[in-house]
Amino acid sequence: MKKILRRAAATSLATLAIMGLAACSTAENAAGGGGSGSADGTVYFGVSAAQTGQYAQYGQQFKEAFDLAVDEVNANGGINGKKVALKYEDSQSDPKQSVAVAQKFVGDPDISLVFGDYSSAASIPASPIYTQGQLVQYGFNNSNPDFTAKGSDYQWSTSITTTATYVWTADYIKKQGINTVGLTYLNTADWGIPAYNAFKGEAEKIGLTIVDAEGVLDTSDDYRPSLSKAVAGNPDAFVHLGYGPDAAKIVTQLRAIGYDKTFYGGQDEQSFDGTPDAEGSVIAAQFIETNPDADVQKFVAAFRAKYPNETAVTSFEAGAYDALYVAVAAAKAGGTTRAGILDGFKQVKDVPSVVYGTITLDPSTRRVANPELTPTILTGGKWVAAS
Amino acid sequence: MGRSELTDTLIAGLLRGNVYALGAVGISLVFGVMNVVNFAQFSFFGLGAMLSWFFVSELGLPFYIALPLVLLICAALGFVINISVVRPLAKYLPLAAMLSTYAVSQILDNVSQIAFTAQFQVFPEVLPTSNLAIGSTRFGTSDVVMLGTTVVIMAAMALFLKYGKIGRAIRATSQDQEAALQMGIPVGLVQNVSFVIASALGGLAGVFIALYVGVANPGSGLNIGLTAFVAATLGGLGSLVGAVVGGFVLGILEAFGIHFFGDTARQIIVFVVLIVVLIVRPGGLFGKVPLLSAEPLTGTFLGKGRPLRIPRWVWPVAFVVLGVAVPVFGSNYVLTTGTQVLIYAIIAAGFTVTAGQAGVLALGQAGPIAIGAYMSAVLTLYLGFSFWIALPLSGLVAAIVASILASPIWGVKGHYISIATLGLGIAIVAVIQLVFPQGLYNIPVPTFFGTPLSTPLAYYLIDFVVLVITLVIMWRLRRSHLGKVISSVGADEVAALASGVRGRNYKALAFAVSAFFAGVGGSLLAHQYTYIDPTIFTMMMSLLVVTIVILGGVGLSYGAVIGSIILIGAMELLRFTPELRIIVYGLVLILVVRFRPGGILVRKS
Repeated sequence: MKKILRRAAATSLATLAIMGLAACSTAENAAGGGGSGSADGTVYFGVSAAQTGQYAQYGQQFKEAFDLAVDEVNANGGINGKKVALKYEDSQSDPKQSVAVAQKFVGDPDISLVFGDYSSAASIPASPIYTQGQLVQYGFNNSNPDFTAKGSDYQWSTSITTTATYVWTADYIKKQGINTVGLTYLNTADWGIPAYNAFKGEAEKIGLTIVDAEGVLDTSDDYRPSLSKAVAGNPDAFVHLGYGPDAAKIVTQLRAIGYDKTFYGGQDEQSFDGTPDAEGSVIAAQFIETNPDADVQKFVAAFRAKYPNETAVTSFEAGAYDALYVAVAAAKAGGTTRAGILDGFKQVKDVPSVVYGTITLDPSTRRVANPELTPTILTGGKWVAAS
Repeated sequence: MGRSELTDTLIAGLLRGNVYALGAVGISLVFGVMNVVNFAQFSFFGLGAMLSWFFVSELGLPFYIALPLVLLICAALGFVINISVVRPLAKYLPLAAMLSTYAVSQILDNVSQIAFTAQFQVFPEVLPTSNLAIGSTRFGTSDVVMLGTTVVIMAAMALFLKYGKIGRAIRATSQDQEAALQMGIPVGLVQNVSFVIASALGGLAGVFIALYVGVANPGSGLNIGLTAFVAATLGGLGSLVGAVVGGFVLGILEAFGIHFFGDTARQIIVFVVLIVVLIVRPGGLFGKVPLLSAEPLTGTFLGKGRPLRIPRWVWPVAFVVLGVAVPVFGSNYVLTTGTQVLIYAIIAAGFTVTAGQAGVLALGQAGPIAIGAYMSAVLTLYLGFSFWIALPLSGLVAAIVASILASPIWGVKGHYISIATLGLGIAIVAVIQLVFPQGLYNIPVPTFFGTPLSTPLAYYLIDFVVLVITLVIMWRLRRSHLGKVISSVGADEVAALASGVRGRNYKALAFAVSAFFAGVGGSLLAHQYTYIDPTIFTMMMSLLVVTIVILGGVGLSYGAVIGSIILIGAMELLRFTPELRIIVYGLVLILVVRFRPGGILVRKS
């Protein structure tokens, strides 16, 4: 019996090793010049994002919005009669996997464009592969300016850059009659530090004093030591440059140590919106679900109908939803091949958007031309445009 | 620093320390009776938080009902994990048991993610958090209840261990398991009880995290777990008083450290404190250093694993398959996956001299990998070096820097050295983050007389050649006199010492060799990615290197190739089931460890 077990184990291991070696060598061997569409005429876009692991929350939000947009596009005739479909690959936003995913997409002749990845550390290492495969890498969520600035012709993004967001935010805070702020920012290479540098630069220019700035990490759970220091000089307001979950922790702990002035920060995201202490927080929003705009309301209603369990529709869903329409517009303008889509991106103009109203891409920056932001206040768990 | 700021920081430290102490007691308890470092404990923090959120927010149960429910579920899960995965292995291979607890924690986290989604969830305020004050420092009933609960539980635990029948049996078992067994103590029962208590404490710590922090998601446990682990080590593994003291000391030190140096410095503070304590007191603050402490890897696998006989013809066949067949017939996707497999195989093969021969389970290889990657990037980007010169140079620099930094820790023994190296790895990356807060872009790709070698095939072939060189060096090293001396340190340090071999020096040398190959691997990664930032060099990266080595057979450099093919290849292969990918991965890992606890390939002793 033991012998049999042992033999079975050895055999299964050998099989496993062979399978690992051959990991999907069953897949394609056709690189270059692909993307002319599949045999049945369906246009495939790839999505490289985290479906498991640390960043799975965002991958899940993207997927819901993408799937909704695909349904709508197909119901309305697809791309000149061709159906649109997505191929998802889980990268865990880990460069080790995102490069393999990139190569898989490049080698798949059906794929004519790829969305993603989520973080810079996963997106930028994959960029050279997409460039070499002449496949557009649409980093719709990459607010890091260097994703496009240091990328090639094949990296495009409709995310507003961090720099633009925080220059705008500093100006807005100063206009509210605030002269001193305590500040925390995420000490991350790809997002928090560029955000802080942009804010600080603008603040110096307009005479907004930062009494204390503390770099924090979004993986921390306890910010009280940083916070008690940052508010020691009792500044007029508090600013946090970060994401939703960390802002939720920070605002809760800020109130717990007794600081009660306006909190500029947070993100339209479920955990922040639901935090009782977050009430009254102010952010520069790209998207708010309470926006009375007809397109926005149509999107929000459709989203709620498809996903009745989701409590909030946030800029993550909105960004992904927009991105699919931009990709479709590019494919309509330039054709559904890889080269056609790249060509189409250079012509994208006035595409309806739930984030910006309309999107026109600037081919020199490969970003949205003149993006607009809206000051919004968290009121009763909902973001409302400030009057 | 004003008086109120001082008390604010102190209170923050106490609350933080409270959670660490609860977690650390669980880790220490299990370690004491089973000699196993239990990674599943990390998952109980996240699970406790999510379960309590689910009961209170979703089902609307009152908190006083939800809390015991959470503890019950965690305790029951702990029991199942112990009898199914940990105990069968812990008896004779603590290391294999540790690897399977890691797999269990991956499974638990992902099941929790499927059940509760990956979203951060808002935890309801069940008790006021800001209704009390000392001077101008505000805190809440919630904080007082948490601290009070910990005090009560610790007192109860102390009494139980001192006077309770099973409590005394727990202490006896952790002093000497074999003697306890001979005295008629039901060691199996004792281990089950300890595991159950530890799991429940982990769940409780998770509830406290949720109460204190306000939001939680299934992955929330990792960071707190890691720090609790450090707290347990700081106090002395196996010592419960030590765990409590360690937890509070670390919490308070962290709070003041953050106050003065910022959040980024937190990890540096934690691990510098740990390393300093371990150098001064190698058994932690309250732990005893046994006269003859068995290194976790010492001799472990030589006698116990069953060697797989590898016929001679396998070598040329493997060379032809990896070096000719894959490049000729593999698609670009297979080749790109192959580059990652090869680079990790290089790093892991180099690591076998530390883990296998010197018997040191270093858990911080991400540190030297990062040094190599940054060194190579800086040399080529700013100093105009070519890739071919930067590659060996970055390995050399990684070896030198890592050796200097690690030099004080070689007197530390057993599991403590693992934790010390884990800390070293994290601290190195944290320091790099301070020096280069931004990522490095446009790292040049390798060129050959002006032709860029940036196709998947070119990367694959470069990596393959480096791997072959690595394996040849490792093979020569193992057969050399030096290699035999290093092996003697790993096989029996006391005997080696008695024969005049200075164990620490050879451990340091082995670590330097491993760091060299880690640095080379880092350089290869940097030039392939063309972009690096500190988030790439995580603890998960270090753990991957260790799991590859353990899976492949700890003392065998070529085993690392098999381990790398399976662990990285399997992640790609499992793409057909995206939701279950990690869970299946964990199960595969558990099965492999179950059937070949000594690694897939084992050297004949």
